[in-house]
Amino acid sequence: MQFEVLAKCPTTRARVSRMKLHHGTAMLPTFMPVATQAAIKGLTPQQVESLGVNLILNNTYHLNLRPGIDVLKEIGGAHRFQGWPHNLLTDSGGFQLVSLSKFTKITEEGALFASPFTGEPTMLTPEESISIQHSIGADIIMQLDDVVSSLTVGPRVGEAMWRTIRWLDRCIDHHLKSGKADVQNLFAIVQGGLDPDLRDQCLEEMIKRKDKVAGYAIGGLSGGEEKDTDVFWRMIKQCADKLPEDRPRYSMGIGFAEDLLVCVALGVDMADCVFPTRTARFGVALTFKGPLNIRLSKYAADLSPIDETCPCPTCAGGMSKAMLHHTVTLETAGAHALTQHNIVFQARLMGGARDAIMNGTFPEYLKRFFANYFGDRGYPEWCVNALRSVGVDLLENIEHAEVIPGDGAKWEYSDKA
Amino acid sequence: MTARDPFDGREMPANGKGHVCIYCVRGVRKLSPAAWNEYTDSCKPHFSVVLSDTPFTFPPHSQKRLTKSLERSTAWLVDTLKTVRNKSAAFSDEGLSTHARLLVHMAGVANAQARRAFSESLGEPLEATDRDRLQPLKTLDEGVAGYVFDLVPLRMALSTHHPADDLTDPSDLLVTNPEKGEAPAQISDDFAGLLRASLQPLPVEKPRIVNSARSPHEILGLVLDVGVELFDAHWAQRAADIGVALDFKFPLDDVSTPNDPSSTCAAPRVRATGKQDLGHNLYSAAYAHDHSRLAAAFLDASSASASPSSPICKCAACSPRIPATHSAHSAVDALSSLHGRGETTTALPPYTRSYVHHLLHTHEMSAHALLVMHNLTVLDAFFAGVRAVLARPTGSEELRKEAERFIEKYDEEMLVMEEAKAQWREVDRARGKGRLAREKEKQHESTVGTAVDIDL
Repeated sequence: MQFEVLAKCPTTRARVSRMKLHHGTAMLPTFMPVATQAAIKGLTPQQVESLGVNLILNNTYHLNLRPGIDVLKEIGGAHRFQGWPHNLLTDSGGFQLVSLSKFTKITEEGALFASPFTGEPTMLTPEESISIQHSIGADIIMQLDDVVSSLTVGPRVGEAMWRTIRWLDRCIDHHLKSGKADVQNLFAIVQGGLDPDLRDQCLEEMIKRKDKVAGYAIGGLSGGEEKDTDVFWRMIKQCADKLPEDRPRYSMGIGFAEDLLVCVALGVDMADCVFPTRTARFGVALTFKGPLNIRLSKYAADLSPIDETCPCPTCAGGMSKAMLHHTVTLETAGAHALTQHNIVFQARLMGGARDAIMNGTFPEYLKRFFANYFGDRGYPEWCVNALRSVGVDLLENIEHAEVIPGDGAKWEYSDKA
Repeated sequence: MTARDPFDGREMPANGKGHVCIYCVRGVRKLSPAAWNEYTDSCKPHFSVVLSDTPFTFPPHSQKRLTKSLERSTAWLVDTLKTVRNKSAAFSDEGLSTHARLLVHMAGVANAQARRAFSESLGEPLEATDRDRLQPLKTLDEGVAGYVFDLVPLRMALSTHHPADDLTDPSDLLVTNPEKGEAPAQISDDFAGLLRASLQPLPVEKPRIVNSARSPHEILGLVLDVGVELFDAHWAQRAADIGVALDFKFPLDDVSTPNDPSSTCAAPRVRATGKQDLGHNLYSAAYAHDHSRLAAAFLDASSASASPSSPICKCAACSPRIPATHSAHSAVDALSSLHGRGETTTALPPYTRSYVHHLLHTHEMSAHALLVMHNLTVLDAFFAGVRAVLARPTGSEELRKEAERFIEKYDEEMLVMEEAKAQWREVDRARGKGRLAREKEKQHESTVGTAVDIDL
């Protein structure tokens, strides 16, 4: 990998960088859509590529089950299998083991779980995870980590953090021995739960291994459970402050627009999440004024596109909200149309950030975004605090600024509810 | 634009003097001709099918019912023409042409006499009461742009058992027609006779449209024996719904053309009867490791340079193309590897059978996208082949000869579709709607597949 920082925001910790991988150059900060089972649901790789995306995620756990390593080896890897000629990132499979399998037992050796097909006890070791990721052939691969829910407290958190470091060493060994280190790049995953001391120790250890690691992910903060946003941003900040500047930083499982921009301001370069594509299939369109629940009856007669300025095929082709309202729960094409729009929204969000950082206007970009997105309802308190910590005051020059405690996430609900 | 889905043959409540019962997205509704004409007026399609009275109650239908069907359908056509005339009274003939052109569904179901009677009434001089309102039309036929035949009610009337007999699972929306049990060729013969009965009294200049033909065999029969121009693509789309990639061409290759010995792309299965499948059931385990393109009968664009004279399947699954434009979202995106990529013209490799097999078993939507694009392209190539044969000096004779060769080679029973449907159902139960509830039940009964007996 060739990683080069091109510009740094003078105010916040944001930066723009260029990351050259085996399947092309990606500009950071960026958002990575998730192609869980070797497909962005409903779209062809040609469609995804033309939206301006050249880095997506595949899921090791799922691909290992279906189609399985044999098929992937026969055809020469996941790129060739799914017809995606650009960059791929795979996670280690550890997260799904914990979240999808009812009975998974973590031991020092690895994660012991029941095969969903045969019920047979199967072990996923760090070495095995890296081997599977080698067969998949992704440009960025992740270490197997011992991940615990961010709600977990007690000695388990520390145990998981130290084990993650030991597993990182095993992953590094196995990866370097494989001869694939020049085409596939291994990332470490910082753990430590919500405990600043544990995080600090983890960071220290992992930074020692900097020369054997191509990038750092910040893990353990998004398990799908409701996050304590107040602690969340502090953990991100702590990690991003300490991690080396010449390595990309990846926050796993982050997809809400406000979360992404806060992370970028704190020094994160990449994130992935199923949220934008999943919410599209549920009929929600993402916009700079907040998410629109297209299934609500108020859109039934709205003949304008979701966003007049959006370059996605759905908006640029003039498809109206009324048409989407009618179609989105009846035809898969409705889901595809919204999926393309939401992917482009995420890309525009990050692209706007890149432009602003290059031009030294990132603080203004943040203020404008939050004013448009939350202005009518009130800023989430945690965003105000997080951005203040890097020198941006969202409330500056705003009369009667409303601040909402808690996650303040914005949703449109049915007026009939 | 049609009021009903022509392929929908499910039983409906009886139609009435002023309405038909149709199944729409919000359930069964009564639709009057007046309402239908209003909808047509708002939607402004190029063509619309006049609402007609086709019974969808349990067959057989009595003579009285058939007579009513003819009378109502004719009356509704008259009313529609009057409505159209009223709307364009202020317009010139030019203004008229902006109104949807009317297609009439040929009434009479499976009764040749009834069909003939309906068609004759279209050609008869208008009743005195209607003449003024409908001028300058002299007959109803003059106001009609083409003739439509729905094969589903015909098939149901000719078959010996009720569609409900085939419904093992009442929520199985794929089975709205009886498809097993009758010799397809025999029914097709009956079709031809009935359709000819409808067409014989009418002028030959107008296009004939057939809905729900279910195989290329049937299509060839209708083209040859009736003279049909337009067919819907339902069966090809339906094949995509259940995971079948079509793989056939028309006309067949010359006997003298040798098969490419270096080709690793397997043709569809040949059955015990000696007939070849029209496509591949990609659910089958046989395709899990088959990394070739979807159809053996056509090359993919990236291989085509090797044999320039072989036909290519130009669909986006077999011959994907690099998109011409890529959205850039920031100025520095000029440094990304997508920049300028649209100028590359290299052909991309085809999507493989193993990939589509994987997508089908993981219940991914993009399987359907790829298969629909492919199947419609194969169907398109089929019709291009039919037109090419007809263009030869003794076109009709040639077509009959080629059709015979085709029918001899390919399996009309569509066993491949039956097999695919069964596997589609399995995967849908395992991964489709309602699966979480079913899984919970299963987990409740036993812990096989989720529990690990660990002795540590």
